[in-house]
Amino acid sequence: MGSWKSHVRAKLQQRDQMSQLEERFEIRKQILDDVQSKSIGRSGVDVGKNTRLLQLQLRESEHLAEKLSQTVSDLTTVLYLKEAELQYWQSRVSHCRQEALTLAKGSNTLKATVSQLEFTAECQSKELAALRAEQKGLKQTLAQAWTEKEELLQRWMEEKREEAVRLNKYNAAQERWQHWAKQLKRHRHRDMAKEDIPIATSSWSGTTQTSPSVTQRINNTAVIQQGHSDHNHDSAAAKV
Amino acid sequence: MADDKDVLRDVWFGRIPTCFTLNQDEVTEREAEPYYLLLPRVSYLTLVTDKVKKHFLKVMKAEDVEEMWFEYEGTPLKWHYPIGVLFDLHASNTVLPWSITVHFKNFPDRDLLHCPSSSIVEAHFMSSIKEADALKHKSQVVNDMQKKDHKQLYRELGLNWYRSADKFDQFWAMNRKLMEYSTEDGGFRYIPFRIYQTMSDRPFIQKLFRPVSPDGNVHTLGDLLKEMDPTALPNDGVVFNIFPPVCLRRSFMSLTLSLCFSLLSSLFRRVSRPR
Repeated sequence: MGSWKSHVRAKLQQRDQMSQLEERFEIRKQILDDVQSKSIGRSGVDVGKNTRLLQLQLRESEHLAEKLSQTVSDLTTVLYLKEAELQYWQSRVSHCRQEALTLAKGSNTLKATVSQLEFTAECQSKELAALRAEQKGLKQTLAQAWTEKEELLQRWMEEKREEAVRLNKYNAAQERWQHWAKQLKRHRHRDMAKEDIPIATSSWSGTTQTSPSVTQRINNTAVIQQGHSDHNHDSAAAKV
Repeated sequence: MADDKDVLRDVWFGRIPTCFTLNQDEVTEREAEPYYLLLPRVSYLTLVTDKVKKHFLKVMKAEDVEEMWFEYEGTPLKWHYPIGVLFDLHASNTVLPWSITVHFKNFPDRDLLHCPSSSIVEAHFMSSIKEADALKHKSQVVNDMQKKDHKQLYRELGLNWYRSADKFDQFWAMNRKLMEYSTEDGGFRYIPFRIYQTMSDRPFIQKLFRPVSPDGNVHTLGDLLKEMDPTALPNDGVVFNIFPPVCLRRSFMSLTLSLCFSLLSSLFRRVSRPR
């Protein structure tokens, strides 16, 4: 709060200062004394008031003229300085203007480059988007293909499993049949051995005769064996 | 207020050295010498120029004398403006003393108000006081004053140019009442101000202006100038021919720089500034 008061007081004092007036008063007084002393000194007679006044005015005018010429001289100096400064600043301005023009040109070039690059970037981004879409499609197709492959594999495995089961069953059946065939063979041999004795018995008559039951069994066994071997052959061929 | 007394004194005792010269067209019996006077800023021309009138009437015939009026470089000087305002408006950039030309004829009715007697000045002065108090206190203070208090105010103003320190104290003994406000109010209702303009058709700006904004911030001189003329530069405001800091709070300025007329007279100076 005190700062504004001191500011205001200082300004008020500055405003009310009458130093210029006092200075002029002092000068006038000095000139008047000077004129008075000269006028008395010249003729020894006190010159009239009007003459003194005229002399006073003349001296004051001379003094003012001197002050004015000094002021003019100072102002002229200042003017020259200002002109030099002005020229300097004008040259700076023109230099800056040139620089600004160059920078503007460079800026335009850069802007053109930027727009071109932006266009290229846009095209590339579109291309990228298209490639990504294609990639996505391909991935989907691949995924689908994988899925189908898995399904096919599953089906093939299933079929193979079923075939293996069938084969196992067949082999089991084959073993059973072979077992039965062995048994039958054994029986046959036994039967034949038993019938050999009657054959041997009838050989005395010179002919060999097989009993019809034994013949039928042999034929059946041969047919079955033939059928199994054909089946085995077909299965082996299918495996291949 | 006690702390501001120094500033109040400086404002009260502001003076302008003036040289009154009779107009060459006036008919005189002999050549009239100029008359020099220190005019108080916070007074009115017609109040302090009795001696000027007497001085020039010595060289004039009675029949050639009409109402006295003053002019500076062709511009009639309005007697109802404070002397300080007149000087700041017309002559602040000129060399001192201020040269005023005195006329006793051809009164410019279109430019000046007639002032046949000092009662007119008193009426104008009291009108200003009441106008300012209406803005500050809704006229409560001035209505509570007695007629003798009004007379005292005016008398101390009129006798101000005797440069008596007593007049200052006696004046402020009355004026203080017009400058006080209760702490509950937080300040005046409105700041009484008038902004005289040098570069406008309008002689002055006078509007309602509160000392505190709606959000509670105290207004500054800068806020006032901005509101009254948004195009004004921050340092365009001149008060009593000084450039107060624009951050100055209006209420304090109003307290310390408002005097007899209780109106803070500010001046907008656009082109030239006193250096």
